[in-house]
Amino acid sequence: MEMPKFKMPDLSKVKDIDFKNLDYIKLAKDFWYGKPHGERRIGDLYEEKTGLYKHREWRGVKDTFYYFNMIWLYNYIHMVSDIMRFNGLGVFAKGLWRYRWVGQTYLPVLHWFDRGMEGMRGEALRASAWHYRAMVCETIRQFQRMFAADTKLNGGKRNELWYKTIAHDETVAGAIFYPWRDELDDVPLQMIPYFVTCHVNSHTVLNYIDAMQSIGLPGDPCPMCQAESGIFVLDDYPDYSPVLVTSNEACDGSVGTSIITDWFWDKPLFAMPQPMQFDDPLVQKHCRNEIEQCWKFIEEQLGVPYSEEQLIKYQESFNKLTEFEQEKWEVAAKTDFYPINGVAQALYRIYYSQDGDRPIWHEVDAHVRKILTKCVENKINPFPETRHRVIAWSCAPLYYSNWCTWAYNCWGLNCIINMDSLMFDIVVRTDTHEHMMEDFTIYNEWAPMRRMAVGGYKHIFELWENKERFNCDMVMMYDQVQCKGMDGVHGMFEDEFRNRNIHAIWMPHALPDKRTVSREEIRRLINDYMTTVMHEEPLDPSLLDFDDSMSW
Amino acid sequence: MCKFGKFLKKFLHLAVGLYALLFAVFYFDLDGKLLFYVVEPFLCKHYDDMPRKDVLKTEYSMDKFPKYEYGK
Amino acid sequence: MKDLKHLIYFENLLQDANNELVQKAKADGKYALGYTCYFMPEVLLDLPGCFSVRLRAPNCTSPDIATYYMTARTCHYGRSLFERALEGGYNFLDAQMATETCTVTCRFQEHLQMMNIIQNPKFFCEFTDIPFKRNENGYEHYRTQLQVHVLDKLHENFGIDTSDEALMKAIEEHNEVCRLITEIGAYRKLANPTITGYEFQCIQLVSLVCPKYLILPYLRETAKEMKTRKPDSKPTWRCKVVLYGSENDDPEFTKLIESCGALVVADRHCYGSLPGREEIVVADGQSPLDAITRHYLDTSMCPRFMPQDEMRNRKQQLADIAKEYKADGIIIEQNKFCEYWSYERTIDTIIMPRDFGIPVCSIEKEYINGASGQLRTRFQAFIESVEIKKIQEGK
Repeated sequence: MEMPKFKMPDLSKVKDIDFKNLDYIKLAKDFWYGKPHGERRIGDLYEEKTGLYKHREWRGVKDTFYYFNMIWLYNYIHMVSDIMRFNGLGVFAKGLWRYRWVGQTYLPVLHWFDRGMEGMRGEALRASAWHYRAMVCETIRQFQRMFAADTKLNGGKRNELWYKTIAHDETVAGAIFYPWRDELDDVPLQMIPYFVTCHVNSHTVLNYIDAMQSIGLPGDPCPMCQAESGIFVLDDYPDYSPVLVTSNEACDGSVGTSIITDWFWDKPLFAMPQPMQFDDPLVQKHCRNEIEQCWKFIEEQLGVPYSEEQLIKYQESFNKLTEFEQEKWEVAAKTDFYPINGVAQALYRIYYSQDGDRPIWHEVDAHVRKILTKCVENKINPFPETRHRVIAWSCAPLYYSNWCTWAYNCWGLNCIINMDSLMFDIVVRTDTHEHMMEDFTIYNEWAPMRRMAVGGYKHIFELWENKERFNCDMVMMYDQVQCKGMDGVHGMFEDEFRNRNIHAIWMPHALPDKRTVSREEIRRLINDYMTTVMHEEPLDPSLLDFDDSMSW
Repeated sequence: MCKFGKFLKKFLHLAVGLYALLFAVFYFDLDGKLLFYVVEPFLCKHYDDMPRKDVLKTEYSMDKFPKYEYGK
Repeated sequence: MKDLKHLIYFENLLQDANNELVQKAKADGKYALGYTCYFMPEVLLDLPGCFSVRLRAPNCTSPDIATYYMTARTCHYGRSLFERALEGGYNFLDAQMATETCTVTCRFQEHLQMMNIIQNPKFFCEFTDIPFKRNENGYEHYRTQLQVHVLDKLHENFGIDTSDEALMKAIEEHNEVCRLITEIGAYRKLANPTITGYEFQCIQLVSLVCPKYLILPYLRETAKEMKTRKPDSKPTWRCKVVLYGSENDDPEFTKLIESCGALVVADRHCYGSLPGREEIVVADGQSPLDAITRHYLDTSMCPRFMPQDEMRNRKQQLADIAKEYKADGIIIEQNKFCEYWSYERTIDTIIMPRDFGIPVCSIEKEYINGASGQLRTRFQAFIESVEIKKIQEGK
């Protein structure tokens, strides 16, 4: 695809404005408060193909300056300060120069904010942006740790940090390593090089998918697993740890990936699979034993003893996050006062719950709690244009995680909750070791995607009860075209939607690979459903059809 | 005006100027445009041209690693 | 070579899941227990009073309704099984002993639970959880699962005797089948084998899809026949190959390979005999269930096993099979849309030639493949390259 050329703004239209007959009072109101939703025409702000803005949104004085000061400036400044405090600028520069997934992805991160926060005002803008801030901070912490320990950036030498870092599959819960949090650090192998990149810059991952296929992998396996393996093919993983812990979470594809991972990582590897039939009480002992075996592996390989004290400390700390999440869901389910937009809800939840307890989550939750309390106490509806409350089910498109922002702005579809938010939903008891291990084992099994997608069809059909629980009247049914698990129940969902008379929009996608089903195609499908089935008019017609084919 | 006052005035002028400049960068998405048209293409060319290890030559030893199994 | 006496009979038996011998066993009052995966020990399903039927969907080329339910992007094998079930082809089943060992067969079996497909009021589908490792934790888990989800269910629902004595009886019968198949299979190791891969696969498949007590007489006769079978004076094949990979229960696929000039001397694939036909050994003082548990975990070469040593050892095992059967090359096949084998095939295609010097033909296939011109071309090219290599090596 040919790169579009940079165009200077077209100022010639200024001379066509009839200054004598302008409604200056309306202009002044729009300037001060921002235009009402139906007049915003956000689509007109986009530059063709690139997704860049002719100018960023004017959201009224208050919200525009909030965005400028507390999101744009704040995050740029904090990104620099985070880099400085997490191992420094030199380490960052070396990593940036060496690894494509840093340079190509993480520099345009503020545009990721822009896409997620488009059209947001007031409390929705504030609360959602805090979640993004947390993810940025943790992302920086992780890659800085990788680089500081990386032999490829340290002349082939294994430094002290290398010996004190645990690498693990991104689908292994960070909680597993709580017993060593004070002495060691655990950094997931693929979360920053792969998972987060898909949301921030959808182009990066394509290099890795293609690389994996270039060595003979067919094109149909889950592209997440393809990309995870493909980063190895391009030698683009840091070498930051003496070990690796893998898992079968979420599916067959993860098992397949570990075959390739083992070859290229070529260091001691511990496989810690979770049982598939996790509702069966008989499997719990087996699962727990695997966790304990993993702990012994870490002790043996890194020479640091297991600490029950640290496990309890960090688990209790994480329990607070879980409890707050459950409070948030109560508000989301029973009121119109929930200030987190669909993309922030989904991404933040999966990120922090998978990563485990970190200080930044608590810091940000404190900010969000204040905003949430304000909304509830003052009955502020952060999404006043909501026409439909949507529950999103199955695996989401990573390259269009902000589809919910677009859908709200264009059609008033408010994505209240999504399937992957609902996993890890257990407050782990810490009163006795036995109770803790019982709950911790279940926690480990209730991981993203697998909590609903495996272990019996009853799980995937929890959609119905969750739709009722969150008072949703519509379903966005993600259709990951390369997910065999979800493909395998496609027809049953069709039948159930019909039988239950549910408005459900199927959204096909290929997880991180935007080439299979483009964002434009996704919008077209939603537009078609909203016009032909729902017979509704768009809130912002400028968002119906636009070309963002080259956008990050 | 005392020296400190002059310094303060100059500082404020600079601060306001910088703030206005940053706001202009923010409002006209100049950071995005710089990254999209200049920085990313430059870096991508660098990554494309980087010599890379042929990972298919990575050793795959059959007995390099033991069975990791631990007693209760 | 002289035709095997019962080959046509075996071919006919393979045309229908509810074949003549299955019908006879049902008429004898036995319970038909379906399964799909090696991790469901067939010996447990062959306890006195019941018989195992490893499910196939012969000649299913167009699983249209199953495709509605499972989309066209899932393994054709799983969809074909589902299609056959919807057609009524499995209504003879009394139970499906299911495993969540691969996603698509799992979904097929979940549909059996969700929908009223099998027209049998007593029918149930029970899942067993299978470990991903061969360690003591895995053995213990597997044993518990088999006891509760297989043996106890058979006893509760059908009154099947699941005592140690009954298990020993089933093991004895199973071992006889294994001995006969292994004996017949050993002829493939000869310099000039006296059995083709196609013939062997037919024999192996009937042992999986027919009641053991009814197929045994035919297997005994075939084994006896093989003792005196003479090879062709001039071999019709140009090289010997191991057929390695994912699910393959279509003898026409093997016939296709052999029509191109290769002889399939070893069948290391699902529904094959390597593993599959090793005898179960019950040590003194060991419970039969424990022996069965360890046997199935220890013999399996499924890419589902995740430990590092096991993942790597599979390549050595494959090389050992190629050496044992004096194969000149390996055909690595996978069913399209099989996640496990996509990755396993990718690495094997690189490692086997690179580290073991064994030529590889790496292909993707559908469930039914007899008519594939593309595959024929690939096999012919591979066989030629192997021949050239043999000439260059002076063999």
